[in-house]
Amino acid sequence: MADQEGWNVVSITQTTESRLPDKSALLTGAGKLTASLGVIATTLFGLLVITFVIGRMVPADPVIAVIGDQADQVTYDRVYKEMGLDQPLYVQFGTYLGDVARLDFGQSHITKNPVASDLARVFPATLELATLATLIGAGFGVPLGVVAAVRKGTWVDHVARVVGLLGYSTPIFWLGTIVILVFYATLGWIPGGGRVDIYNEGLVNGPTNSLIVDALLAGEWEVFWSALHHVAAPAIILGYAAMAYLSRMSRSFMLEQLRQEYILTARAKGLGQRPIVWRHAFRNIRVQLLTVVALAYCGLLDGTVLIETVFSWPGLGQYLTSALFFADMNAVLGSVLFIGLISIAINLLSDIVYRFIDPRTRSS
Amino acid sequence: MTNAHIFALASATALSLFAAPFASAATPADQLVLASNMSSMRGLDPHELNQLESAEVVANLYERLVVLAADKMSEPEPGLAESWIVSPDGKTFTFKIRSGVTFHSGNDLTARDVEWSLRRLVKLGLAPSTDLRQWGFSAENVDTLIRATDDATLVIETPEVWNANLILFSLASFSTSILDSAFLADKAKDGDMGRAYLQTADAGSGPYALRSWRSNELLIADAFKNYWQGAPAMRRVLIRHMPESSAQRLQIEAGDIDVATRLSSTDLNALDTGDKVTIQKTPGFGFYYLALNQKDEILSKPKVREAFRYLIDYDGLAGTVMKFYGVKQQTIIPAGLPGASGENPYTLNIDKAKALLAEAGYPDGFSKVYYATPVTPEYEVAQSLAANAAKAGIKLDLQGGDHIGKFRARDFQLFSARSGERLPDPHAVLNSYATNADNADAAKLTGLLAWRSAWDVPEEIQTMVTAAAHETDPSKRSDLYTKINAAYLEASPALITSFQRTDAKAVRNVVKGYIGHATWLTRWDTVTKAE
Repeated sequence: MADQEGWNVVSITQTTESRLPDKSALLTGAGKLTASLGVIATTLFGLLVITFVIGRMVPADPVIAVIGDQADQVTYDRVYKEMGLDQPLYVQFGTYLGDVARLDFGQSHITKNPVASDLARVFPATLELATLATLIGAGFGVPLGVVAAVRKGTWVDHVARVVGLLGYSTPIFWLGTIVILVFYATLGWIPGGGRVDIYNEGLVNGPTNSLIVDALLAGEWEVFWSALHHVAAPAIILGYAAMAYLSRMSRSFMLEQLRQEYILTARAKGLGQRPIVWRHAFRNIRVQLLTVVALAYCGLLDGTVLIETVFSWPGLGQYLTSALFFADMNAVLGSVLFIGLISIAINLLSDIVYRFIDPRTRSS
Repeated sequence: MTNAHIFALASATALSLFAAPFASAATPADQLVLASNMSSMRGLDPHELNQLESAEVVANLYERLVVLAADKMSEPEPGLAESWIVSPDGKTFTFKIRSGVTFHSGNDLTARDVEWSLRRLVKLGLAPSTDLRQWGFSAENVDTLIRATDDATLVIETPEVWNANLILFSLASFSTSILDSAFLADKAKDGDMGRAYLQTADAGSGPYALRSWRSNELLIADAFKNYWQGAPAMRRVLIRHMPESSAQRLQIEAGDIDVATRLSSTDLNALDTGDKVTIQKTPGFGFYYLALNQKDEILSKPKVREAFRYLIDYDGLAGTVMKFYGVKQQTIIPAGLPGASGENPYTLNIDKAKALLAEAGYPDGFSKVYYATPVTPEYEVAQSLAANAAKAGIKLDLQGGDHIGKFRARDFQLFSARSGERLPDPHAVLNSYATNADNADAAKLTGLLAWRSAWDVPEEIQTMVTAAAHETDPSKRSDLYTKINAAYLEASPALITSFQRTDAKAVRNVVKGYIGHATWLTRWDTVTKAE
């Protein structure tokens, strides 16, 4: 096969190059690494600057959020100073940057915990929800998109497009509310909210803060099933939204491939439909798919605020929203920085995976 | 594995999530489950927090010298103090501390702990310290004025003579909770008197001990087995963070939670029609008020202020928006307190308002910016007022948002919100609404609503408020408050009250003994369940 042969050639070239690195290649590699780190640092710095400035423009008064609106001026002035707000803005920002460099994100004015420890607690909740949602979205969305493309114009394609359109156009908080109303309040099939049943609260603590993982590690099967059952509805709703996006993208990518000449050649050679679709066309959309799946995953990890609110899910989205409402700037800045890091990490991971699934990317 | 297999596996996994066994919904018979919006909880240090949800937790983790029963607020009862004596001059309070009380740590509670705790409150100087500082205690004098003479005796001297109830009520507030001084000595860092530690932990002797608190998620408190009054019936209390009112409503209907709080008017109405839940309305010592900035030339005219009183639809709001959130009240002393009056002379009367505006020299009305808190029911009340004002020719540019900072800085024209005091005494409300010792901007008496409104409160009223606070004769004091109430009503005040606040909670009928407390001290140890 032409495409298969092409892959092999690139792969062999890459292997040879990697065995015999010359000095200039190493220098180029070091330069690229430095450039990449520079881009990452600039991105994170930009994020912090923008968030810091916007945070100062928000009309909410962080001091009143802490002491209450009836406090007298003496108390106000005291807490104002304690929070470092008496310093010029550039000093406040400089101090914060210095702390961040020492991996100290400061203390949340709301929770009174170090922001890093708050993030370590809330992020696993979002991680397990987002991961499950992405698995559901990709597991259903990609095959659906591929099948819709292959059977373009048939009822399968129409169904896939309607499902996708509904997923795109239905507000997720509304869907969440309806699911709770029907499956929780009326049918009693799903739990109403939270990460685990009341009976199981506090039975499993750490080490990962992902209840599903921790319950498995501790062998607490009742907690495990309870956690799984609680995550099901929000994960399926988020997964449905992801599925809508991924099925549309998969369909589009696949249609483009199916129009290529090598597919015509394969058909002319008498190759069956299944190998044409899955062994040839699908292999060529994997990089694009990986990109959109990574983007969808990033979006979910950023905090699925609405679903977390509807399902009382104590994740990153809810944490960040509360922090914004109460002008808890340490928590806001820490969360934004953390989200930035996560996005960068997922993008880097995608880049690495590209190299495994597409040999053409290795030479660059 | 083929793609078809992967697809099938993904389907099976998703379906199995729904097929997982689901435990029964009802809350356990020996556990109390509360739902709350925990976003505004700011730590659990009794000497630092100033917020209702945290206060309820602290009320059950700690104890105080004096107790105010929810249904008999005016009569202080013994708490950690077995008894007390007030000296004939009214300035010295001697408390006999109860023996046999232990902290959650196992340490015995003594008068030394009480001394250390009350001094700590004053010395930290944070928001709740007002509860003692307003009577003249300061970081400089507290070591002299509050002292343990032995392990069982605590003496408190007040710098001036105050009505004894004011001091006792303060000693019943969550802010005067007694802490385990020996335990906290080990936890203190950089001389912070255990402040950092107490944000997320407890050092009390109350009927419940904090087991865990994950902010904005869950709080668990376990019954304290060695509690001196006996272990409570509910062996555990859980508070779940549920910011969505509709989610709370569905869960209380399903029996997943026992008490729902901060519900919307719609959800309260819906629950009120069912038979599984009772809506509990606890009157609070505060009001829904409209503040008119007296630095504004137009708003400072008494007839204009009077006109606004005729633009509020008291009866219409009482039956709708305010059904669960307040009780109509136009006078300044909350119902149930000495001097309170049932008099509500004002009704919505656009023509009367127009006539008053014409008399004030504004027959064609005027335009002003109106800040209102964008939450239920404050915003709906503001919208109603703006609509009625428009009929009288006053154009109010209603702006939602967080404008409390501007109100504190006197940088507003009209502002409306809700207030809440924690002392079950007229003085608490009057001190804020009807005293303003120095109306200059530089005075920065930002804790007083009257100062924020730049209202130069009539001298006669201020004198009476001060006299009543010092008056020790209950009868004379009650008479004074009656006079103040009438004088305030007649003064065309810059702070117009329309409803006394009530805090509504939905409680499952199987829950007994959960009684909302007007000073935020709702107890859990009185709760039982009758399944």
